[in-house]
Amino acid sequence: MAVETESATSPSVVPTADTASAGAEAHGATTGAEHSAGLPQFQFQHWGGQIGYMLILFVALYVLMAKVFVPRMRRVLDERAATIADAISSAKAVQAEADSRAEAAKRALADARAVAQRTAAEASAKAAAEMAERKAALETELSARQAEAEGRIRAARDAAMGQLAAVATDTAEAMLEKLTGAKAPRAAVATAVKSQG
Amino acid sequence: MAANDPIHQFQIEKLVDFGVVNLPVFGRTELAFTNSHLAMTLAFVAVVGFLTLATSKMQVVPGRLQAVGETLFGMIDNLAESIIGHEGRKFFPFVFTLFMFILAMNVLGLMLTFTVTSQLAITATLGLMTILLVIVVGFIRNGPGFFKLFVPSGVPIVLLPVIVLIEFVSFLLRPITLALRLFGNMLGGHVALKVFAGFVVALGAMAASGGLGLFGIPGAALSLSMVVALTALECLVAFLQAFVFAVLTCIYINDVVNLGHGH
Repeated sequence: MAVETESATSPSVVPTADTASAGAEAHGATTGAEHSAGLPQFQFQHWGGQIGYMLILFVALYVLMAKVFVPRMRRVLDERAATIADAISSAKAVQAEADSRAEAAKRALADARAVAQRTAAEASAKAAAEMAERKAALETELSARQAEAEGRIRAARDAAMGQLAAVATDTAEAMLEKLTGAKAPRAAVATAVKSQG
Repeated sequence: MAANDPIHQFQIEKLVDFGVVNLPVFGRTELAFTNSHLAMTLAFVAVVGFLTLATSKMQVVPGRLQAVGETLFGMIDNLAESIIGHEGRKFFPFVFTLFMFILAMNVLGLMLTFTVTSQLAITATLGLMTILLVIVVGFIRNGPGFFKLFVPSGVPIVLLPVIVLIEFVSFLLRPITLALRLFGNMLGGHVALKVFAGFVVALGAMAASGGLGLFGIPGAALSLSMVVALTALECLVAFLQAFVFAVLTCIYINDVVNLGHGH
């Protein structure tokens, strides 16, 4: 903006003043008069030169674009797209591999767990069987001992009962002898005691 | 007074004079290397220089300048691709050339004393060139079927003459609207800038004389802030008009490339 203002405020005399004015009577026209004639854009004597030059520049620019700049840009953009596509596909491959590895690890873990469970079950079954066996052995031993003890108790009782009859007979014989003074036959006394219970 | 005349900035001034010739269409023509030629040359050099720098060391991971170039490239590329379809690539160099050239001339116009795209001669040429390309491509592609462009499908036979007339006139107006839109935007923007800038100087001079003239200071400050705001707006307009030109070019090319389907 500064440039524009500066050049505009400087007293610039339009050099086209004498050539632009066509008529001889307008020869002395000031630059101000020329401006008031309308927009400078409609001074058609300047059109041809501008248009021709613009077309030349445009064609030159177009050729440069089509032959140099656009292919360069296009190449690097395509290259980038290819690079990105490559990176994505390789990332996908890596991910797939990682997935399969994780799957394998999971399967191995499951296998190991199954084996461990089977081993544990086997061990516990074995332990239970051993225990049952020992228990059974202990039980038979105990019952044998019990039976033996019971037999002994029964024998002792029988013996005691047997001796009880003899003691009763003896006592009855002694009482008879004391009361009657006569000796009663032992066998009769024994039968009498036995019949009493 | 030429100094504060907001129109003076559009004056063609000869830098090197080559004399006067009579051309068949333009009549009396003054051949010269003017400020307009200089600005066009600068725009051309700017575009070529920028693209050369941006594409000289192309890498898959772009540097700063390359990223800017690729952004502009990709923007117009997407535009052509989305409007014209897969054949957009064929017309892309033309559209991109138009876009870059107009953009460079617009932006340089904000920094130099002369704006090429505020010359109707230039914008009219660009518009005509575009529409000529559309017509040539239309005839090469479709032969006489090009005239189907003016006959939309599914129109009642009674309305057909009216519709065809409207379509034909609207087609004829395309280069004119292309030319006038760019011309008018640049002209109006720069005149507004110049008017407000002139206010700053005039009110400032008034304030410098002292006394009641000191009341000119707030006015000058306001005008200056307007100039700043308008400059920002003109930066947007400079880009937007180049983009609009590219979009419309794509649409017009699409009309004849994909004539008959998806009209």
